[in-house]
Amino acid sequence: MSNLEDELRRALRREEPPADFADRVLAQLNQPAAPSWWERFSVLMKPPRLQWVAVTLMVSILLPTAALRYRREQQIRAEGERAKEQLLIAVHVAGSRLHHAQRKVLESGRMETRL
Amino acid sequence: MGGFAVRVQEVPERAAQVALPAFADIVREHQGMVYSLAWHFLHDRALAEEMAQEVFMELHRHLADIQSPEHLVFWLRKVASRRCIDQTRRRAFWPKFGLDEVPEPVAKTRSSDPMLSRTLAKLVASLPEKARAVVVLRYQEDLDPSDIAQVLDMPVGTVKSHLQRSLGMLRDKLARTTGEIAI
Repeated sequence: MSNLEDELRRALRREEPPADFADRVLAQLNQPAAPSWWERFSVLMKPPRLQWVAVTLMVSILLPTAALRYRREQQIRAEGERAKEQLLIAVHVAGSRLHHAQRKVLESGRMETRL
Repeated sequence: MGGFAVRVQEVPERAAQVALPAFADIVREHQGMVYSLAWHFLHDRALAEEMAQEVFMELHRHLADIQSPEHLVFWLRKVASRRCIDQTRRRAFWPKFGLDEVPEPVAKTRSSDPMLSRTLAKLVASLPEKARAVVVLRYQEDLDPSDIAQVLDMPVGTVKSHLQRSLGMLRDKLARTTGEIAI
């Protein structure tokens, strides 16, 4: 047997862990085990509790109400847009007619002056 | 041995709490072996302690499968070695102590020098994981190559070649590190 092997035996001799090692292992064993992913998942899959029923009811009432209100507001806005467009067209037409009448009045005024 | 088997098999699977005093005795009896395997493998005391705790927690879960004191020792060595190898691979631990990072002894080394022992332990911790497991089981646990082959699930020839190569590597490195010593 070589010296190296003797030295390896010396270098790799057993050592004891800290004195409270066994107590800590036992303390860990006494701790309640953390729930596994399956346990967490199965909780989600259980029948809904009262608070979830209440939340579902609230959502099922509030959501359609909010949707109806939003749709009504959209309709009012669209009608307003249409009215604005019509008003602009009317102003434009009235302006051009006024301009035409004014031109006619000026032309007739000039003819009277020549005569 | 038979008594042990009866004692362990009497423990109902669901009533592990009842067996805690007996389990505490098992932990105290084998903690040195498991902790030392982890320490010599990982060369990190906190990590070695954590790993040894995990091994005993796993033992507690599989206590009903243990058939004899010999089987218990075999099981502990196998699980500790496997966990050390897995840990090393997972954390890319190797080479935490590169062969070139091992400090040189300050004086001419002699046989059974504590400095030489520390240097050797660090050199062992720098070996590739399977070779390291073989060397630790051989020189800490004094196991034959055939026993090591069983613990590590590898052919005896592979164990022998790991041993031969590791010894050569350690001898060269040690000679280079210490300069004058020839062991």
